[in-house]
Amino acid sequence: MRNFHHLTIFIFIAFASVGIFSCKSQKKLAAEQAAAAEARKIAKAKADLEELLSDNSGLSLDEKEQRLKTIKDMNIQDDEVQQLIVKVEEKLKRERDALAAKERAERLAREREEQLRREGGPKGLGDYFNLIANSPNLATANRYIDEALGLFASDDVPVLIIISKSGGTVDYDRPTTIRKYLEYLKDQKINRNKIENVIYDANGKITELELIKK
Amino acid sequence: MKNIKIFLSVALAVISTVAFAQPEISPERKQAIDSLALEKVKDLGKYISIIGNKETPFSEANRVIERALELFAPGSQMGVSSLNRKEIKYYGIREYLQRLMALNYDRVNIEWFNVQYISDLVRQPDGRYVGVITIYQRFVGESDDGLKYVDTTKKDITVYVERKQTQIHGRLIGFWDVLLGDIRVTETKPG
Repeated sequence: MRNFHHLTIFIFIAFASVGIFSCKSQKKLAAEQAAAAEARKIAKAKADLEELLSDNSGLSLDEKEQRLKTIKDMNIQDDEVQQLIVKVEEKLKRERDALAAKERAERLAREREEQLRREGGPKGLGDYFNLIANSPNLATANRYIDEALGLFASDDVPVLIIISKSGGTVDYDRPTTIRKYLEYLKDQKINRNKIENVIYDANGKITELELIKK
Repeated sequence: MKNIKIFLSVALAVISTVAFAQPEISPERKQAIDSLALEKVKDLGKYISIIGNKETPFSEANRVIERALELFAPGSQMGVSSLNRKEIKYYGIREYLQRLMALNYDRVNIEWFNVQYISDLVRQPDGRYVGVITIYQRFVGESDDGLKYVDTTKKDITVYVERKQTQIHGRLIGFWDVLLGDIRVTETKPG
């Protein structure tokens, strides 16, 4: 009977030990899983942040900012991630500033064209093209050329002329410069192209012009 | 051994064909290129008219000469005929244009008309397109002493169109470069 009592105690201690060790190993496993999940989260955040820095994301500025916010909201306590967040924030701020400057420049250019229209003078770039091509003499054509050049960042601003758009392929004529193009209008006395696209700098000056055959 | 040689010859021919084969362009794109080349020839006609015109200021004529030269492939020549001689003289384009500017008349009027293809642009093995455009040029030169020379000349212009690429603000732009070649006189008539 005494032996039986000892055996019972021994079995009880053995089960209790197994239970304790089992509980400990479950906790350890859970901790390891949590650590692995955290590592994956950090790795994913780093990859996303590096993609935002690389300019290869293909996302709009709004989308990039949203992605950055999502990462920041995770509140990841990792030095490298925090440093990347600072870099991305700086980069996106520069992009936001550049976009704002471009929008401001385009608005200024539109306002200036509108003002010219109201004042009854030459009405804008397209009007200058017609005025130059139809000038009655050299002096008048040269005056309009000088005025039109004032809309551009320099005399050497590139002018691309689309000769066809077919099946997703755009074909261009040999690129020229704005001064040469305006002189071409003066010489040939015909305006064969219309404006397709205009790119402005921060000062509202045109830095690239794309035309298309009428 | 003979079979191996035949096989290698056929394989080489196939590889060569694949290597040099370029995709055909659509009829719409080809038409755009045809029109572009025709337009360049018409542009040259206008430049020649400006350069020859005695009312064109010297500096302006020189500027237009430079624009006209940009239309030509290097080494191109221009044929010049006269009712007063049988042979046709050929000049480099710059020399021709400078001589045109300095012609010894008080009034010069040059007009190009009936500008059209006599040989369509056809793609060559090197990928370039080559064609021939014909034009008629009516020349009128008058002097204050009553001297007047008038002729109409038919000229054939070889035209080359080549696909090229250039960088604009870091972007690669593919374009069609039209270059004019030799201009040959094929007929000269009075009036």
